[in-house]
Amino acid sequence: MKAVEGMKRRALLLSLIDAMSKEGSWCGETHVQKCVYFVQDMLDVPMGFDFILYKHGPFSFDLRDELTAMRADDLLQLDLQPPYGPSLRPGPLAEDLIGFYPKTIRQYKPSIEFLATHVSTRRVSELERLGTALYVTKKMNSERSPEPVDQRANQMHSLKPHVSKEEARIALRDVDTLISESESLRD
Amino acid sequence: MAKSFHEVRDPIHDFVRFDSTEREVIDSRPLQRLRHIHQLGMSHLVYPGATHKRFEHSLGVMELAGRVFDVLTHWRNTSDWVLDVFPKIDDRLWIGYWRMVLRIAALCHDIGHLPFSHVAEKELLPKGWSHERLTMQLIRSDAMSSMWSKMRPPLETEDIVKLAVGPKFYRKDPRERAAFSDWEALLSEIIVGDAFGVDRMDYLLRDSHHAGVVYGKFGHIRLIDTLRVLPPPGEDSREPRLGVEQGGLHSAEALLLARYFMYAQVYFHRVRRIYDIHLRDFLKEWLPRGTFDTDLEAHLNVTDAELTVALLEAARDHSKPGHDAARRIVERDHFRLLWQRNPKDWDINKEAGPVLSRAVMKEFGPEAVRYDYVPVKGGLPDFPVKCKDGRIVSSLRLSQTLRTIPSALVDYIFVDPDKRDKAEAWMNKNRETILKKAKKGEIQQ
Repeated sequence: MKAVEGMKRRALLLSLIDAMSKEGSWCGETHVQKCVYFVQDMLDVPMGFDFILYKHGPFSFDLRDELTAMRADDLLQLDLQPPYGPSLRPGPLAEDLIGFYPKTIRQYKPSIEFLATHVSTRRVSELERLGTALYVTKKMNSERSPEPVDQRANQMHSLKPHVSKEEARIALRDVDTLISESESLRD
Repeated sequence: MAKSFHEVRDPIHDFVRFDSTEREVIDSRPLQRLRHIHQLGMSHLVYPGATHKRFEHSLGVMELAGRVFDVLTHWRNTSDWVLDVFPKIDDRLWIGYWRMVLRIAALCHDIGHLPFSHVAEKELLPKGWSHERLTMQLIRSDAMSSMWSKMRPPLETEDIVKLAVGPKFYRKDPRERAAFSDWEALLSEIIVGDAFGVDRMDYLLRDSHHAGVVYGKFGHIRLIDTLRVLPPPGEDSREPRLGVEQGGLHSAEALLLARYFMYAQVYFHRVRRIYDIHLRDFLKEWLPRGTFDTDLEAHLNVTDAELTVALLEAARDHSKPGHDAARRIVERDHFRLLWQRNPKDWDINKEAGPVLSRAVMKEFGPEAVRYDYVPVKGGLPDFPVKCKDGRIVSSLRLSQTLRTIPSALVDYIFVDPDKRDKAEAWMNKNRETILKKAKKGEIQQ
């Protein structure tokens, strides 16, 4: 599937952050990174970001640059909410841009809503584990033979030693459930 | 008796010190080639003092990487929490190994650079190639691998490659991404990190020194002394991060302000940008098939020196490929700025630059117009700060300066000086209509 590009992709990002925010989710950069990863790699919304297992799980340098550019363009703003770091929210020009691409937004609305309700409201450490679990699952599972949870948990623990094997197993089971619940959205 | 430790004078760090095995790497062909690659491309045409080369920058990055590593791993700075996440930090052999890997990776991080550094790298290399990929290939080459295996202890080639290019570019082979462990992520952040990477520290200090632009300076000694491995602030994650003690926060602010000023004043200077474009145009015509050869031998054989000779010859001789672009550089007859991003046009249309550049090209011909766009890059300067009472707090919570540092970007349209007056008049007359029309077209997608 061809990736969504340019301003259209920015509009999708804004609608995702808006949906997260409406669900009461924290919208720090780590949260947004993980949620975009789920939208792209679990729900197949073609955002075109390149993710690698790095800071707090899957991380995209392209997405980091894009969020910074959007702040520079007044499409996103920072909110400071002590004791945490900053949270992102749509800026003064965001509505204008979202309104510019109604067809695209409509097309991916169900996936974004699923993400907002099922994933976005979790704590950052949970998202770190969940994102890593999805990353490991996607790397290790082939279509015909899904890897058992224990094997994936070992791999996850070796990549992120500060995540215990038990925590990894819980996250992997959770991810398997999310993948099966969201199956209809990928059709 | 032969010396086992060596030192060279350096205008930024006073002395750069290295041992005999590191000297062997410094004396190798890939490193010596950097003596002939300008750090700032063609910026010396705008800032005459900016003629420094990647070689001294590479030495500086190695020096700073070693200093940062020593601060982070010193027993006084490693809390129980650090020992818990990195238990081997107490193991002298293990630490000694990684210190060597880090310094060598820092030394080699730029060896894949093309002549004139960053000039239009994407367009002048075949698809899928970058200077980071060339750096990876060179570090893995037989000649360099044999140096790594001769070291005591022998260094793993992939450890050096990983830290030299960092997670953004590292691949085991062109198709495969690879995960970074927490330790590797931390060490690579020492070199290429967005907030405190020593690559950035050195180039800001060095470029500002040579360009004669004072804005790039900041208190790097204080900053390095206060760097620490810390947990993320206010979160229950245990992933280690690079942060500072509160006493270094102002130095961190100064670094990030220096970055903004240097981008706005030097790296994105409009005349520097158009010279880079003319050089790209020259190279596209002059190079066989319009791209640099990615064969390592060919890469090592081409530097700014060979290109400068070719550029001067082409500028003098009408029949040489790339004559027009070369002449514009040599005779300083560069294209002039016609438009740059401004709030008024941006408010009308979020794609003002591409829309207007297409319209100007249609009116005056593509050969008379150049469009230059570099988006804002990098992340939020959000890092953990250890307060005097021991609490870990987000830098953005403590520093209003960090929250409001603007970002520099390039969004320029240049025009042939012969058509400048006509183009300006045309632009003034038609700009608003073009932007409004384009917006109307797009909303009916």
